[in-house]
Amino acid sequence: MSKKILIVDDDQEIRSYLSELFGDNGYETVTAEDGKVAIEVAEKETPDLITLDLEMPNEWGPRFYRKLTLNDDLKRIPVIVISGLNANQYAIPKAVATLTKPFDADQLIAIIKETIG
Amino acid sequence: MFKKILLATTGSPASFGAARVAFDMAKRYGSEVTIFHVLGVPTKAFSQVVNDVRTGEEVEVDAEYISWVEEELKTTYAKQFAGAENAKIVITTGAPHREILREARNQDSDLIVMGASSGDNVKYHRGYPGSTLQKVAKAARCPVLTVHRESASYWGGFSSILFGTDFSKQAASAFKFALNTARELDCVLTIFHALDISGKVLDQTQIEENLIVARKRIRETYVPLMGDFKNFDIEVWEGAPYVEIVKLAREKQVDLIVMAHHTRELDAEKAKIGSTVEQVIVRANCPVVSVSKPDKV
Repeated sequence: MSKKILIVDDDQEIRSYLSELFGDNGYETVTAEDGKVAIEVAEKETPDLITLDLEMPNEWGPRFYRKLTLNDDLKRIPVIVISGLNANQYAIPKAVATLTKPFDADQLIAIIKETIG
Repeated sequence: MFKKILLATTGSPASFGAARVAFDMAKRYGSEVTIFHVLGVPTKAFSQVVNDVRTGEEVEVDAEYISWVEEELKTTYAKQFAGAENAKIVITTGAPHREILREARNQDSDLIVMGASSGDNVKYHRGYPGSTLQKVAKAARCPVLTVHRESASYWGGFSSILFGTDFSKQAASAFKFALNTARELDCVLTIFHALDISGKVLDQTQIEENLIVARKRIRETYVPLMGDFKNFDIEVWEGAPYVEIVKLAREKQVDLIVMAHHTRELDAEKAKIGSTVEQVIVRANCPVVSVSKPDKV
């Protein structure tokens, strides 16, 4: 049973790139283009891990994260922040890792492997 | 509430967070945002030569120079300008705090948004707001929203507000602002009082009795003012107030902190920004609003 990753990013290219990257490494993927959609997808799919962008139209990453942590079924899902913004490691301090775009794919996969196997 | 926002900026990286919040509010709440930049202080009265606020160099201000600066600002905030329909740039010369206050008065602004300091002086590194913010926050008729750390600008809109109170007379206006914002934007409102035990050794029973008293006081002071608004929590515990406010905001993932500009000094003309607000401004992970006057709450 492969592990499922939810990719939350408003950039279609990033979503496709990450889907492909995770797929190649044996993970199943689901995607969402902003925080609002992401919470619905998370409730429906209960992913094992979430990669999260910070600045998106409508619902930004930190607010999505707050909603996530208020949901007892979802609050323990590990989150990796992947964003183009500076100083972003302070935006969601409880994230398992924070990567700044452009990020190193091998490093990201290593973090995911370490987190969910 | 936020029809007219005045973004006071130097265009330096230290003000990017403030700009991000101001533009986001403009797009989200349909506010009109004025990007206001003071070039510098004239070397002599009515002189065309000013000391540039950012470089300290003397520059001659003419139409060409002003349009060059305007282009610079447009380039700096290009991403934000995209999709912001109600944004305009106003550039002037003078003493920054005075011009910001003048412009806010002329425009009848509902909110002034600014960074806590331009980030290039020694005080900034020690963690105190700059003198422009100090002077603006004290005299502004409208609330002043400050974004100091860049990570404080990543929320996107407001949905969870923390109101920190010490029950002072000044906190009443700040509470009104927090409540009205929570009502209008459908936010959760957390009313918090930190029982200040810094530098004291108190008996635990006494601490817990004081906590019960403070909780009761919050219920008596603020709950009757809320009418049908039920989306609030009351939190009270002991500690050093600024530390506890920052911690609670982080833990609850609050996206706006509201506090009174000062508490002890009753005379608004003499009052400086309170030391607790000052520390919260420079440390918080979300924007902080200080409310000094009851006019625009």
